[in-house]
Amino acid sequence: MENKQSSSPASFIGSTVIPGDVVLDLSSMANQTIKLGDGLREDRDAISAMKAGTLRCKKPNKYRIESCQKRYVPCAGDTVLGIVVDSKRDDFLIDIKGPALAFLPVLAFEGGTRRNIPKFEVGTLLYLRVVKAKFGMNPELSCTDAHGKAAEFGLLKDGYMFETSTGLSRKLLSSPTCPVLESLGKKLPFEIAVGLNGRVWVNAASPHTIIAAANAIMNSES
Amino acid sequence: MEVDREDGRSQNQLRPLACSSNILHRAHGSASWSQGDTKVLAAVYGPKAGTKKNENPEKACIEVIWKPKTGQIGKLEKEYEMILKRTLQSICILTVNPNTTTSVIIQVVNDDGALLPSAINAACMALVDAGIPMRHLAVSICCCVARSGLVILDPTKLEEQNMKAFAYLVFPNSVHSVLPEGSLSVQGEPIENGIITSVTHGVMSVDDYFYCLEQGRAASTKLSDFLRRNLQQQSTDSSKAG
Repeated sequence: MENKQSSSPASFIGSTVIPGDVVLDLSSMANQTIKLGDGLREDRDAISAMKAGTLRCKKPNKYRIESCQKRYVPCAGDTVLGIVVDSKRDDFLIDIKGPALAFLPVLAFEGGTRRNIPKFEVGTLLYLRVVKAKFGMNPELSCTDAHGKAAEFGLLKDGYMFETSTGLSRKLLSSPTCPVLESLGKKLPFEIAVGLNGRVWVNAASPHTIIAAANAIMNSES
Repeated sequence: MEVDREDGRSQNQLRPLACSSNILHRAHGSASWSQGDTKVLAAVYGPKAGTKKNENPEKACIEVIWKPKTGQIGKLEKEYEMILKRTLQSICILTVNPNTTTSVIIQVVNDDGALLPSAINAACMALVDAGIPMRHLAVSICCCVARSGLVILDPTKLEEQNMKAFAYLVFPNSVHSVLPEGSLSVQGEPIENGIITSVTHGVMSVDDYFYCLEQGRAASTKLSDFLRRNLQQQSTDSSKAG
């Protein structure tokens, strides 16, 4: 397979790589800072892939592997749909389909004080923002945006939640609007919340509409 | 030396391979691997929070459950579980998700020789499907030594029973690299010349064993190419959808 090996670092960008493939040669990029996203790791003098997927490069120096999984890798700044698993004195424990449970501080709400702590039962569905997601620590979540406003985060009442892969959630959230959502929106009135962790919540006036919308989205994955 | 194999294969010819992934709806990663009539289904759940009691919490823990086609779970199944666990631990990067457990469940659908190698290949594909970080993939092959001294690859169950000795070998897959050839070596040899696991049964001479290794390594490049094509095809399929 000698024709695949070339000395230019752009040769793998946009193509599929599998774990073990060496995708970037660091010795040819002496004084640059490179940011590695999901799925890449540094291995002696080169960057190699840990997952199978497509190598993407965001200019000038951000590289990541785009792949579609059923589990979620928590990343700061993402919006996710979490389910309350337990509540402690200072925070709620939330399941976000990642390797560890996430914490939602009890005061992370707009106008939240010790006196008006919301009472979430086990099993409540919430729309949240990931604040911190560092290696080795449980991720931290919040029900406010970066400025402290509520901004649609919080409890999702009624409706129906289903699970999809992370690839489909990313597609649903991409801009321009995903064709499935556009065509669905012209026919049915519904409300939707998409979490990057592979959870989607749909609400509409009648159960019939909710089921139709949910099935359309689930089947659009192929 | 011409050999008379039941299904007309030559000495080094593998049975037809078939592999599909993402077949189980609830598992986080799944794959089905078949070599001829031997078929194995692997499912991966995880990573989930928490490790088992005696495991190191600074690393991820891999747990393997082997389910035979019929009968109760006995010593042979426990041995397969241990071999699979050690093999998978050496290919997965355990420091990425500390204090988590990843469960791999192997279900034997049909056993027609070379069962453990098929299971290792299926488990590896299922781990890729689940997105577990790995150093490289593992390709596994069975080589056996006949009573006449001949070495053949990928035996069926009948052939396996008539053999003097056999060896299950697991090699790392061949990697594509942007680096010039030779820089990805460990002590002067390219990575795919390494070996991850070797399990032998029966009595064979040292020369026979080394010959098995050579034949196995040559066949592992073909398996690597098959894996790569399969993964590339799946990824183009999923990017066209939706």
